[in-house]
Amino acid sequence: MRLMLEPTCADTDALVEAARTAWAAGLDGVMITSTPALSAPLVAAAYVAGLVPDLLMAVELPLGDRHPIEVLEEAVVVDLAIAGRLVLVTRPVIGAAHMYPEALDLVRTALSPAPFRFDGSYWRVPARLAQNIRGTTEARVTPSPARARLEVWSAGPGFAAGVSRGLGHLADADDDPAELAREWTQHRMRIGPALTGAPRARRALWTDAEQLIVSLRSGRASFGQDWAVVAAPTTAAAEIGMRVRPRLQLNELPAGLEAHWDLYASWHPSPRTADQSQREEQASHVGLKDTLLHPATGEFAHQPTEDEVRAEVCEDSR
Amino acid sequence: MLAKSPAAGLDHLGVGLFTMQSTASAPANPRSLYRRYVEDVQILERHGLHSAWSAEHRGWYDGWCPAPLHVQAYAAAHTTKLRFGTAILLLPQHDPVAFARAAMTLDHVSKGRVEVGVGLGYRDAEFDAFGIRRDERGILMDRALKTIAAVWAGDHGDHQPFQQPAPRIWVGGMSDAAIRRAARHRHGLMLPQTVDTRQVRDAVERYRSLTTSDAPIGVLRDVWIESNPKNASRFLKRLHRHYQEEAGSWWVMGERTGFEVPYELERQLARVNELAAVGSPGLVSDRLNSLFDAGVDLVVARLNFDFVLQADLHDQIANLAEAVAPHLTPRRALPCA
Repeated sequence: MRLMLEPTCADTDALVEAARTAWAAGLDGVMITSTPALSAPLVAAAYVAGLVPDLLMAVELPLGDRHPIEVLEEAVVVDLAIAGRLVLVTRPVIGAAHMYPEALDLVRTALSPAPFRFDGSYWRVPARLAQNIRGTTEARVTPSPARARLEVWSAGPGFAAGVSRGLGHLADADDDPAELAREWTQHRMRIGPALTGAPRARRALWTDAEQLIVSLRSGRASFGQDWAVVAAPTTAAAEIGMRVRPRLQLNELPAGLEAHWDLYASWHPSPRTADQSQREEQASHVGLKDTLLHPATGEFAHQPTEDEVRAEVCEDSR
Repeated sequence: MLAKSPAAGLDHLGVGLFTMQSTASAPANPRSLYRRYVEDVQILERHGLHSAWSAEHRGWYDGWCPAPLHVQAYAAAHTTKLRFGTAILLLPQHDPVAFARAAMTLDHVSKGRVEVGVGLGYRDAEFDAFGIRRDERGILMDRALKTIAAVWAGDHGDHQPFQQPAPRIWVGGMSDAAIRRAARHRHGLMLPQTVDTRQVRDAVERYRSLTTSDAPIGVLRDVWIESNPKNASRFLKRLHRHYQEEAGSWWVMGERTGFEVPYELERQLARVNELAAVGSPGLVSDRLNSLFDAGVDLVVARLNFDFVLQADLHDQIANLAEAVAPHLTPRRALPCA
C-alpha cells in the first residue's frame, strides 16, 4: 500500500516542513489542496516539489468550473517541472457535477500527443468561432507531460465517471468500504481487466497508528484499497512511516516481527531528516552488534552459547 | 550623468525570455528545458540581476510553455532574491479568478517576488481553443483586471497577497489602448521589443499625461553582447531566422499571415533586427541608456532564444552583469509594488 500525507497546515513554510518530514518518514507522496492562503494548489505543489525531492505530488482540483484545457495545461507544465511526479486528482464541482464526465473526456483526449477535435455538450475544442477567422480546425495541448502518461484520478462523487474510464479513484474518508467494494466489483465486471491496476485510494483522518492500521487493513480486505491519503499533522508523519506503513506492505508477517518493529520504533521515535541521511551515508555502517544492544541498559544482549544455538536450530528436526 | 555602482544597473535589468520552446531548427528535450530554466535563474540570481521573465503561448508544435507561473513556482524554490516576471501572460484567455489565485499563490510561496505582466494576446487559434472571441479580448482584459483586484482584496475568500497592497501588474503593449488601460488602473506598462526610442519616449509621455501613478514602465529589448562583428552578424542572422518563423506563422499583417506576404514580413523582420542591441558592451550600454533616458525604469534584456546554447546564455548573463550594468544610468529607483 502506498501512503501519502495530506498536510493540515496552510502556510508555505509549514507545508514545506510537512513535505520534508513525509519524505524523511519514507512516505510516497503528499496531497496538496486549495487553502485560503495558497488557493492555487498546483502552484503550491510546484514550489514544494522544488524544495523536496522524490515525493509524488498529488494535487486535487475541481474539474468543470473553468475550461478543462486550462487545468490540463497547468498540470502538464507542473509535471514537466517536477519531473513526472504529479498525480492530478480531479473532483466534480458542486452544482456542476454533470459537466465532470465530459471534462474528464476532454482532458484525456487532449493528453494524447496528437491534434484533436472535441465536440461535447459543454466544450467544443477548437470552438471554430466565426469571428476567429485565423482559427484552425484542430487543437493541440503542448507540451506533453514528463512521462509517457500523466497520472489522473477521479475523487469523491466522480467515482462512476472516473472508474468507468479506467482511472484511479480517491474515495472520501467517510465513504462506506462495503459500498466501495460493491461499486469496484460492479465496474470490474463491466469493464474487465482494463481496471486491473487502477489505484484504489481512500482518504483517512489521522487519530493514531493503531486506528489507521485497522482502517487500512479493513479497506484492503473490503474494496482492495492500495493507496491511502492520510490527513494528519506533521508530527504524525513519523509514526505513519515507521509503524503504519511497514505493516501494510504484506498481509503475512513472521511471528515476532511486529514486536521487533515496536521495540525499534521506541528507540528512534523520529525519522532521520534528509540532512542526517546524507551524513550517515558517509559515516560507517551500523555494525551487527548494535542490533543486539539492550534497549534499556545499552549493553550487549545475551550472547547465546554454541549449545543454545544448536538446541534452537535442531529443535524442529528432533 | 555619472555611472552608478554596478548594483544600481542590475536593479533595473531583467532577463528573458524563457519560453521552453523546442523548435525545428533548435530542438531540445522538453524535460531538459525545464531543468535548464532552474539552472539559468540561479545564474541570474548569482549575478544579481533584478528578474527573470517568461512568456506564454499555447498549442503550438514547439511546446511553448502555456503556464509560466507554474514553472516559476518551481524555480522560486531554488532562489531567494530573484524576481519572476511575465512578458506577457495572456490574461483574456484565462479564468480570471484562477489566474488571480495562481499569481497570488506564487506571490506567497516566493515571498513577494512576482511581477505580473499581462497582455491581450493575438493568436486566433489560442482564443478559439478556449471558445473565446479574439475581438472580445479588450473587454475580457478589463473585466479580468477588475476580478483580480477583487480576489486580491479577499472578496472571494482568499487571504491577501504577500506583497502589499498587491503584486505589481504590468500591462503589456504599445497601442494607445494599452497605455490608457495601464494608466486607468494605475498599473505599470511593459513595452514590446518592436518599439524604437522615439516611440518609447512618446509612450512614456502619454502614460504620464494620463495618470499620476508612479508605476514603472518597462521595455523588452533583444540583446546580445558580442564585440566581434562577424559573430555579431551571425547572431543577427539567427535572430532573423527565429523571428521569421514566429512572425511568418503568426504575425497578422493586414488580412494575411506572415509567410503569405513575404515582402511585408521581411520589412518587419529588418526592423526587429535594427532594434536589437547587438554589439560590444559599450554599444549595448548606450542603447539601453537611450531607453532609460526615454523614461524607462526597467529593461528586460532578451538574451534567451530557442537557438541560444545554455553555456552562451550564461556567458551573456555574466557580461550583462559585469560589462554592461555598471554603465547604465536609470533615472530613478524602481518604485516598490
